[in-house]
Amino acid sequence: MKRPRLSLREQPLPGGQPLAFGTGLAIALFVGTLLLLGAGHDPLRIYSRMFDASLGDPDAWAITLNRAVPLGLAGLAVAIAGSMGLWNIGAEGQIMAGAIGAAWVARIGGDWPGLVLITMMLVAAIGGGGILALGPAVARAKLGVNEIITTLMLNEVAIRLVQWLIHGPWKDPDSFNFPLAPMLPDQARLPTLFSRAHFGLLIAAAVIIIASVAVRYTAWGYELRIAGSSESTARYSGISLPKKVLTVLVLSGAVAGLAGGVELAGTADRLTETISNGFGFAGIIVAALALMRPSGVAAVALLFGAVQIGGQSIQTLGVSSSVSTILQAFVLFGAIGAGVFSRYRVTLDSGPASTPEEAKS
Amino acid sequence: MNEASLIGLLFATVSFGALLYLAALGELLAEKAGVLNLGVEGMMAIGAVTAFIAGVEFQNPWLALIIAMLSGALLASVHGFFTVGLGAEQVVSGLSLTILGLGLAAYLGKGYVGLPPGAELVPVEWGRLSDLPWVGPILFNQAPIVYLALLSGIAVSLILSSTRLGLALRAAGESASSTDSAGHSVLGLRLAAVAAGGALAGASGAYLTLSITPQWAEGVTAGRGWIAVALVIFGAWRPSRVGWGALLFGGTLALKPRLQTFGVDFSPIILSMLPYILTLLILLIISVQARKRPSPAPAALGLAYRREER
Repeated sequence: MKRPRLSLREQPLPGGQPLAFGTGLAIALFVGTLLLLGAGHDPLRIYSRMFDASLGDPDAWAITLNRAVPLGLAGLAVAIAGSMGLWNIGAEGQIMAGAIGAAWVARIGGDWPGLVLITMMLVAAIGGGGILALGPAVARAKLGVNEIITTLMLNEVAIRLVQWLIHGPWKDPDSFNFPLAPMLPDQARLPTLFSRAHFGLLIAAAVIIIASVAVRYTAWGYELRIAGSSESTARYSGISLPKKVLTVLVLSGAVAGLAGGVELAGTADRLTETISNGFGFAGIIVAALALMRPSGVAAVALLFGAVQIGGQSIQTLGVSSSVSTILQAFVLFGAIGAGVFSRYRVTLDSGPASTPEEAKS
Repeated sequence: MNEASLIGLLFATVSFGALLYLAALGELLAEKAGVLNLGVEGMMAIGAVTAFIAGVEFQNPWLALIIAMLSGALLASVHGFFTVGLGAEQVVSGLSLTILGLGLAAYLGKGYVGLPPGAELVPVEWGRLSDLPWVGPILFNQAPIVYLALLSGIAVSLILSSTRLGLALRAAGESASSTDSAGHSVLGLRLAAVAAGGALAGASGAYLTLSITPQWAEGVTAGRGWIAVALVIFGAWRPSRVGWGALLFGGTLALKPRLQTFGVDFSPIILSMLPYILTLLILLIISVQARKRPSPAPAALGLAYRREER
C-alpha cells in the first residue's frame, strides 16, 4: 500500500507564505460560501460588502488600518520572541496591562499638555506590558519555566485586573453604576492622519521597521536568531542565553503593551474589558503566518485586519458575527496547512514495509 | 453563613470541580501523548452547543451527551490532523481551534438561544445515601456526569499507569522516536489521545448545558477551558492530583457568586484570579524542584514528530 509522507524540501517553495495565506483565504471563501448559503444569504453580495467595508474607499481603509495597528504590534511582539524560538502567548494580557498603564497616566495627567500626556501614556503602556512579561521572562531565564504556560496564565490575570478596575476603583462616578471607566480627556487621544486613521499607524510602522532592521541586520539580532535556531551553537559562541531570553521576552511584552496604549489612545474612548478584543491571540497567528519574521508582520496584519473589518461589516446585513469568526478560523487553518506544504513535499511511499506495524501484518 | 448555604457552596464546588475535571482529564491525555491542545475552550463550547441542540431535538439527555462527546472528538481531530498529521505548530493550531470552536458553536446555536432545554441530566437518587446529613446533599445528589467524571479519572489513571496502551501513550509523549522504534504508531497514539481528549472536553461542555445552566447562550463556557489547561499543570500531569486541583479550582468558581451573600468583603473578580496565580506558583515550585528530580512534564510535549527527521 502506498502511504503519503511529508518530506522536507531543500528550499521552501518560493513565495510559499503569500501562497499559504492565499490558500487560507480561498478555503475560507469556499467554506464561507457554504455557510452563507446555508443561512439563506447571497454570498456574492456579502463578499462585495466585505470588500467595500474594508478596502473599498479611503474611509474603509482607515478603519482597516486602525485594526491592523494593534494586530501588527501584537504580531511583532510575538515575532520578536519567536525569532528566538520563544512563545509569547501573553500578548493579550500585555496589551491590557499596557492599556491600564496608559489609562492610569491619563487619569493623573488630565491637565498636562497633549504631547506630554500622550508620550507619557505610551511610555506607561510600554512599561505595563514589559512588567507583565517580566515574571515569565525571569522564570524562563533563571529557572527554565516554560513561557507558554506562564504568559497564558497571566492573560487571565490581566483581564480580571481590568475588570476589577472598571468595576471598582476606576468606575466612572457618572456612569449610572455601569461598570465603565471614564472617557479619556480629549488631549489624551492620538491625532488622526486621514479619515479616521489615527497616528498609531505611524507609530506601529516605525516600531515594525526598527525591529525588523534590528533583528535582521544588527549583531544583536544575529545572536538572537542563532539562539533561536540552536541553543548549543549559541552557547559555544559565547552568547549569554539567560540574558538574551530575559531581554527578548520583556521587549516582546513591551511592544504588546504599546499596542494596548495605542489602541486606548487611538481607537477606544475608555478602558474596557474588551480593550484587547482578542488582538493578542490574533497576534500569535499574524506572527506565525509571517514565519516569525518581524518584516512580514505588517502585510499579514493588514490582510487580517481587512478580513476582520469585512467580517464585522456584514453583521448589518443580518449575517451572524459567528460566520466571520469561522471564516477567520478557516483562513488560519488553511494557511497553517498550506504553510506546511510550502516547506514539505508530499511523496507516496511505496513498498510493503513502510511502518513496522504493516511489516508485521 | 448558615448550614444550607454552606451545603450549597460545597455542592457547587463538587459540580464545578467535575466540570473542570472532565476537560482537564482530556487535556492531560493529549499532553501525556505529547500534544498540547490550547483549543479546550472551543471544544467545550462545541460540546455545550451540540448537547443542547441534541437535547431539544431528541429529548434524550444521554444521546445528547454522546453527540457532544463525538462532536468534541471530531473538533479535536482537526487539531490532530494539523499538528500530528502535518506537524504544524501546536500552539498556533490550538488557538485557532478555540476560535473555530467558539465560532461554530455560536453559528450552530443561533436558533437555540434562550430556548427551554429539551433534556436535562437530573441528579441521581442514591436511596438512603442521599438522605445522610451533609454528605447526602453534597455528594449523593449530583448529576450523573459528576460520577462519570470520577470514573473517567480512575479509568484514565489506570490506563496510563497499568496498561500497555497507557505505557505506549506516555512513551509517545516522552520520546517519539523510541516509541516508533518499539513498533508503536506515534501518529496513531497521538491522534487517538487528542480525539479522546476532545470527547472529554465535549462531555464537560455538555454538563454545562444539560445540567449546570440548562440553557444555550454564547460564551457559556466563560473561560473555563483555560482553567482546565492550567489544572493539568497544577496537578503535575497526574490524574489524581488534577482531581484535587479541580475541587480547589471548582471551589473558587462556586464561591465567586456567593461571596456577597456570605458577607465577605472581597472582590469576586480578584478571587477568580486565584486558579491562575496558584498554577503559576505551582509551576515555579515544580521547576525549582526539577533541579533535583526530573520535571513531571512530558518531555516531547509540543514537539511534532516526523519519522524522517529523527
